[in-house]
Amino acid sequence: MGIDIAAILGLFGLTSAFALVALVLAGWMCWRIAAKAGLPGWTGAGAILLTLTGIGSLVSLILLWVFAFMRWPRDGLALAGAPGAAHAPMARGAAPMAPAALPPPPRALADRRGWTLSGGGTTLRFDDGRASYTVTGEGSGGPDELVLADPSVGRPHARLLTAAGRIGLQDLGSPGGTYIDGARLLPAHGPRDITAARTLKLGNVELALSRT
Amino acid sequence: MFTVIGWLIGLSMFALMVVLVVHVLFALLLIVPSWRIFERAGYSGLLSLFHLVPVIGPFIVMAILAFGDWPNGEGRPRPAGS
Repeated sequence: MGIDIAAILGLFGLTSAFALVALVLAGWMCWRIAAKAGLPGWTGAGAILLTLTGIGSLVSLILLWVFAFMRWPRDGLALAGAPGAAHAPMARGAAPMAPAALPPPPRALADRRGWTLSGGGTTLRFDDGRASYTVTGEGSGGPDELVLADPSVGRPHARLLTAAGRIGLQDLGSPGGTYIDGARLLPAHGPRDITAARTLKLGNVELALSRT
Repeated sequence: MFTVIGWLIGLSMFALMVVLVVHVLFALLLIVPSWRIFERAGYSGLLSLFHLVPVIGPFIVMAILAFGDWPNGEGRPRPAGS
């Protein structure tokens, strides 16, 4: 052949063909993982191929942590663009918009268990029985109300939307603010898929989201 | 003679412990973010403990995430320019 494979591998710092195979395999799998999170596949493969550079695997490790805790585009795909989404902040004191049913999400979930929001001494349980629930600091006895008795929670504060085993959250412009895993949700964002979220913050009340 | 063997066994055990501790510490750096990724994908975070398997552990973790259907749904990359 005239081409010394060992020399080529050595050029890239690889000590054996097994390392090359492992590298290609890891790059391919990371491509798929990144694509499943909604990111371009080359970002995943690129993170692995960075180990070939002089920076070493430290950058790959840092990127793994960033990937784990960043906001994935997939999280916003399911409910963004749903009809009835608020695209402008509501005036204070204005009546909330009429609840809107969600369109079918990109992929329905087989898990049909209910949901639990717990925190601030309150536990709220709900399920797919209704298309939407209103979270408010003071209830009027409506069956679709989830009352979170706290001065920092608006009246109403936010809307929870359920469809096909998924759950969405829409901020209704309350001054206390709404946060998903620490990121501020504005009324202009419309409904966001929080199926994979862990913590919500409505006003000063921190809530953990879990399946019932 | 027995003293020398005892020393060798002791040193071997110490070296093994050091290797184990370093392995676990390094695996923890991978387990923590992987746990979060598994939970966001809809799997149990316990699957990230595969990182404790020497050599092939990270590959098992990547294979589960790459080739399994994520219970919490999967996204599609947005077309460039959109």
